Amino acid sequence: MKKSLLLTEHLTISSVVLCILLGLVFLFFYVTEDVLSRPQIYFSTDLSSAEVQFLIIRIALVLISVLVSCIIYLLLSMHTRTELAIIGATKSLNTSLEQFEKLYEEAPVPYIILNEAGEIHKPNKAALRFFGVVPGEIEGKNLFHYQPEEDKDKIEKLFRYYKSNIPINNEEVRMITKSGAVRWALLSVFEIINPENSTRAGLATIFDITEHKKLDQAKTEFVSLASHQLHTPVATVKWFMEMLLSNDIGELSPKQKDYAVRVQKVNEEMIDLVETLLNVSRIEVGSLKIESKPTNVVELAESVLTELSSQIEAKNIIIDKQYNDNLKDIQSDPKLLRIAIQNLLSNAVKYTPEGGTIAITFKDSFLGDKTIIVSDTGAGIPKNQQDKIFTKLFRADNVTPGTQGTGLGLYLVKSMVEQMGGNISFVSEENKGSTFTIKI
Amino acid sequence: MEKTNKRKILVVDDDENLRLVLTDKLNIAGFDAAGATNGKEGLDKAIEWHPDIILLDILMPIMDGWTMLRKLREDDWGKKAKVVMLTGVEGVEAVSKAVEDGISAYIVKTNESVSGIVEKVNVILRSI
Repeated sequence: MKKSLLLTEHLTISSVVLCILLGLVFLFFYVTEDVLSRPQIYFSTDLSSAEVQFLIIRIALVLISVLVSCIIYLLLSMHTRTELAIIGATKSLNTSLEQFEKLYEEAPVPYIILNEAGEIHKPNKAALRFFGVVPGEIEGKNLFHYQPEEDKDKIEKLFRYYKSNIPINNEEVRMITKSGAVRWALLSVFEIINPENSTRAGLATIFDITEHKKLDQAKTEFVSLASHQLHTPVATVKWFMEMLLSNDIGELSPKQKDYAVRVQKVNEEMIDLVETLLNVSRIEVGSLKIESKPTNVVELAESVLTELSSQIEAKNIIIDKQYNDNLKDIQSDPKLLRIAIQNLLSNAVKYTPEGGTIAITFKDSFLGDKTIIVSDTGAGIPKNQQDKIFTKLFRADNVTPGTQGTGLGLYLVKSMVEQMGGNISFVSEENKGSTFTIKI
Repeated sequence: MEKTNKRKILVVDDDENLRLVLTDKLNIAGFDAAGATNGKEGLDKAIEWHPDIILLDILMPIMDGWTMLRKLREDDWGKKAKVVMLTGVEGVEAVSKAVEDGISAYIVKTNESVSGIVEKVNVILRSI
C-alpha cells in the first residue's frame, strides 16, 4: 500500500514537472527563437493581422500546454486522494478486525465458531479453559456431543434447532469437560456466515453458571435445613405445652396454668416468626413454591379474624366486612394468600387505636380484577416514608415504641403477591389511617 | 418388647424431646409407643417389632427418613407398613414424593397439635 502511494505521488509530481518543462521548451522553441529571429514583429507597434494571428497562436499553444498540465495534475491528485481514503479505511478496518480478534480470543466468555454440522471450528481461549483442553484438541468435534447422557433429549432438540436455523437463546445445559467434570452453562447459538466460503456457520457462547448453580443449591439446602431445625424445637414446645394444659399428666394450679398459657403464646409467636423468616429466605433464594388451587378468600379472611379476635375485642375495634361471593372460589395459592391477608389485618389491628374501624372489602370488577382491600383508622404512614414501606426490615418512625413487629411483613406480602402474579398498593395519611389493596 | 393388645406405634425422630412428647402422648392415649433415634435404628426396630404405624421424621443423621422408607419397602412385612411422615418442611416436592412412596399421612410439625396427631393415627388404624 505504501509503495503505490509513493508511485502515485511520483507520477503526479513528475507529470506536472514534465508538462511545465514541455511548456517551457515549447515557449523557448516557438517563441524565444521567434523573438530572436524576428524581433521586428515583437517590438514594433505596427503589426499586420497575420503577424498578430501568429503571435496569438503561439501564446495560445503555451496556455494550452499549461492547461493540460493543470488537468493532468488535478486528475492525478484526485486519484491520489481516493487512494489515500481507501488506504485510511483499510487501515481502520484492519485495526477493528485486530481489536475484534483480540476481543474474541481474550473474552472471559467462551466463544466457539461452529460449522454447519455443529463441529467446533474456532474456540477462543475461554472456551479452551472451559473444556480444560489445549488448542487443537476439540477442533472438529461436535459441540452437541459434550453433554451427559441424561440430557440427551434436550441436546438433540437443541441440535435440531441449530440444524433448522432456529436461534438457541440462553438454554441451560450441562457440559462435560475433559476431566469428566460436569459444568452448568447457558448456551446460545446464533447464525453467522462463514466469510471464507460463504457457508452457514454458528457463533456459540457458553456462559459458565456452575458456581452460581452451586451457590443456589447451597442456599436452598440451607433454607430447607434451617426450616427443619427450627420447626422441630418449636413444635416440641408446642406439644409439651399442649399436654401440660390438657391435664394429660396431672392438673396444674391456676398460676402454673397461667404461665403455661403464656409460654404457649410466646411459642406461637416464635412459630410465626420462624415461618416469616423462612418465607423471606425462600423468596430470596427463589424456592418459594406457588400451589394454585380453588381458594375461598372469605374463609381465609374469617379464619384470620378468628385468630385475631382476642386483640380485636381487647381494643374494641369495629370490623366492617364487605365480602363479595365471587371471591369464594378463585384460583390462587391459599397458603400464600392467607399469609398476605394475615399480615395486612394484623398490621391494621396493631396500629389502630381503641374504638377504631377496620374494613375488609372484596371486589370483583368486570375486567376480572379481583381485589382485597384492608383499610384502617390507625396511625398511618408518614408521607416522607411511604416509598420505603415495602422495604425489608423497614418500620415507620411513628410506630408506638414496644409495638411488636419485624419490618418483614409488608416486604413478604409484596414479594408473595407479586410472585403470584398480582400487585399491592396503598394510600395512607398519618393519624388518619391506611388502605392497602391487593390485586390478585 | 412385651406382648400387649395395644396398637403399636414407632416414633422415628432424632430429637429426644420430640420423641418423648409423642411417645408419652401416644402411651397416654392408649397405644404402645416406642422410639428410635435414626433411620437405621428405626428400620431394625420396625422389622423386628412390626408396629401398626410408623411416625417417621425426614432429616436424621446416620440414615434419613426417605432412605429408611426405601429400605423398609424392600422387606416383605415393610412393603405394607403404614408410615406417617413427620417434617418441618412443607412443599409440593415433599408432598408428591410422599404420595409416590405410599405414605398414609403427612404431618408438618408446627401445623399439627399433638392431639391432632393422635386423631390422625386413629383414623389410619380404623382404615386398616
